[in-house]
Amino acid sequence: MPKPQTELFRGLTEAEAGALSALGTETRVAAGETLFRLGDEADRMFFVLRGRITLTLPMMIRGSEEDVLVEERAAGETLGWSGLIPPHRFTLNATAAVDSTLLVFPRAALLRHFAVHPDIAYTVVRNVGSVIGHRLQVFQTMWIREMQRSVEARYP
Amino acid sequence: MMMLLTLLCMSFLTFAVSAVCLRKALSENDARPEIKSGRPIALDPPRFFAGDLAAPPEATRIPIAVLKSEIERHVRVEQAAAESYLDVPTREKLHTRYVN
Repeated sequence: MPKPQTELFRGLTEAEAGALSALGTETRVAAGETLFRLGDEADRMFFVLRGRITLTLPMMIRGSEEDVLVEERAAGETLGWSGLIPPHRFTLNATAAVDSTLLVFPRAALLRHFAVHPDIAYTVVRNVGSVIGHRLQVFQTMWIREMQRSVEARYP
Repeated sequence: MMMLLTLLCMSFLTFAVSAVCLRKALSENDARPEIKSGRPIALDPPRFFAGDLAAPPEATRIPIAVLKSEIERHVRVEQAAAESYLDVPTREKLHTRYVN
């Protein structure tokens, strides 16, 4: 069972975290196996129990489309938050980098649980919000650093 | 008399050339869209993100797999730099260069 201090379960009691993780199905994915692809309907969220998942985006390199690594998710981390946030479409490709074990949470099950336990819903959504917020800040920083280089290259 | 005729011919020739030039200039003006502002029109396409930076010649010889690996290494380093900046955000750390 995921520990309450991990990303998605932070702030929940052992019992609440247990009840929540019981909604997920433990699933094994082999190295190289695709979890979801960009544009797929996001009807589930994932919690990494073991292993590592790579998140990639397609990029044209000299006329050839290549999946380029954007982020990695390891044990204790969450991926697929588009499962909870409209418009419920995955915006990256997710592939297992090594043999991995995940808890897969169907959106419908989570929403049913949240309807009955709004306090848990608040904590989980706040956790998801902080994951999204942190990634936004990281990408904002990466973007401005690249922008700075573009400006320096164009206007030396 | 000869001089008068020469002057007359040259004047006619100058007039004819001027008339042709004027006509051409007028027809070009008609074909151009009207410029309302006194500012010059920017003719460059919008390509702020270094669209006109040519790849170095040696880049075409590097295999795609190597380029991809370089890009991914760059992403990892930049992500680490961004995380480090977010831990303690300062103006100096924002644009710190790392060996890449």
